[in-house]
Amino acid sequence: MIIVVDGLNRHMFSEVLDEMFELRARVFGERLGWDVNIQDGKEIDEFDHLDPAYVIGLDDEGNVVAAVRALQTTGPHMLSDVFSAILCGEAPLRSATMWESTRFCVDTQRLTRGKDKNSVSYATCELMIGSLEYAKNAGIQDIITVIDPVMDRVLKRSNCAPYDYVGKTVPMGKVHALAALLDCTDERIAGLREFAGIRNDVFIDEDDALALFAAKKAAARAPANQDHKPLTDLEKYFVEQMSAATTEAERQDVLKLIEALSNTFTPEQKTALLQTPRAFAHEA
Amino acid sequence: MEIVDLSTLPDSEVRYTEFLRQICDKHEMDHAAYAGMNPAAGTVAGFVTYDDAWTEHYQNQGLIMVDPTIHMARRSIAPVDWSRLERSPDFQRVFRDASDFGLSNQGVTIPVRGPYGDIGLLSATRNCSKEEWRKLYTHVISDLQSMAVHIHDHVVSTDELTNALYHPTLSSREAEILQWVAAGKSQQDIGDILSISHRTVEVHLRSSREKLSALTTPQAVGRAIAIGLITPG
Repeated sequence: MIIVVDGLNRHMFSEVLDEMFELRARVFGERLGWDVNIQDGKEIDEFDHLDPAYVIGLDDEGNVVAAVRALQTTGPHMLSDVFSAILCGEAPLRSATMWESTRFCVDTQRLTRGKDKNSVSYATCELMIGSLEYAKNAGIQDIITVIDPVMDRVLKRSNCAPYDYVGKTVPMGKVHALAALLDCTDERIAGLREFAGIRNDVFIDEDDALALFAAKKAAARAPANQDHKPLTDLEKYFVEQMSAATTEAERQDVLKLIEALSNTFTPEQKTALLQTPRAFAHEA
Repeated sequence: MEIVDLSTLPDSEVRYTEFLRQICDKHEMDHAAYAGMNPAAGTVAGFVTYDDAWTEHYQNQGLIMVDPTIHMARRSIAPVDWSRLERSPDFQRVFRDASDFGLSNQGVTIPVRGPYGDIGLLSATRNCSKEEWRKLYTHVISDLQSMAVHIHDHVVSTDELTNALYHPTLSSREAEILQWVAAGKSQQDIGDILSISHRTVEVHLRSSREKLSALTTPQAVGRAIAIGLITPG
């Protein structure tokens, strides 16, 4: 799932942003060895203070697994400033319909190989689809993106090869960096979707995202079945019903049933069942 | 109809309002407004197509202090559809008044960020069904983005200090492509000559036009020649 966090809604998603800054510290500071500023385990630079837009990929539990940052090219952005080496001192492109994307990263520790839903490949494609669709809906026609050669190869393999490059490839930390051009066309998005097998709407709306994060926090605060007592048959039944529920109405019905039979549970069991059906499902 | 480049309109305050009217005509909007903030010059500029009655009310009530289409939209990099602001009490406050003046609360604000901390906001509003609005939005948003930057660059460069800072710098690739245009080559030809994709040519031309505050490529060529960035023909 993809959520877009910008200057308008960032006050609601500060914890998600913190998680993203921590992921960026691991990726750019440790793995790629870039000269980035890390404080309290978070990588934050001056462009993060300019109200950029973040396109953030989440897994089903609401963990940040991928992220990228977008800025307008009409104002201050990285290629006009810190990445000027890539452009060999030349003036950067400036266009109302071109955005710059930087700090593209994917959590390779949490994700797996292969192409299924929890893979690096899936998360990368989903994030690309999210960024291209967000840009296209904003009337943006092209994206200039600063990436490393590995990411460049991933794009080519994923049916999303850049149509050109600007400037040259320069050494940066343990790797190299380059600036690639991507068009935000339906053809490119369709190509990516076909490659990754993603047909659904990738975006999660603000309310759903807030609900997801609330559930995640509740699970962390009061881990379900903390003492690992074997589940009773009734608990198992609820877990089954909860996993089988496909609509919100069905989910609500299960919760109502739990409430109705609440005197058969200890208060702890009841809280756990109501707040973290997912965690229970995981253990069943 | 085609929108006339701002620099070719008579030099007066009225030309910005005229430009906004043209945007409304071309893109089927009821009204358009521009607000610009230039901290380098310490100036604020505003131009609207609204009736005087609403403009006066807006000023007298100090609505500019709370108007979220200004204060919220400037924090986005993407155009802000006003439906995104609906829940804010300030939005309710401004648009309850606006509806008394027959104005719709359906609209979009396009934020522009300039290089020196300058910010421009182009808003457009249209009273129509939601479906119609969605369609119109998708159709015109790209062009509105370009219009927003065009009016913003022109307003900002009327300030002498900022104008001096706004001196356009083309990359050698941009200059090279513009030079081939001046020599009469088509975009396709230029792509072949330089062994680059057609889209790369287009993207560089778009950037050059914008840096030279021109809406069309011939205008950009003329200006580039005038300030000596390329040579004639």
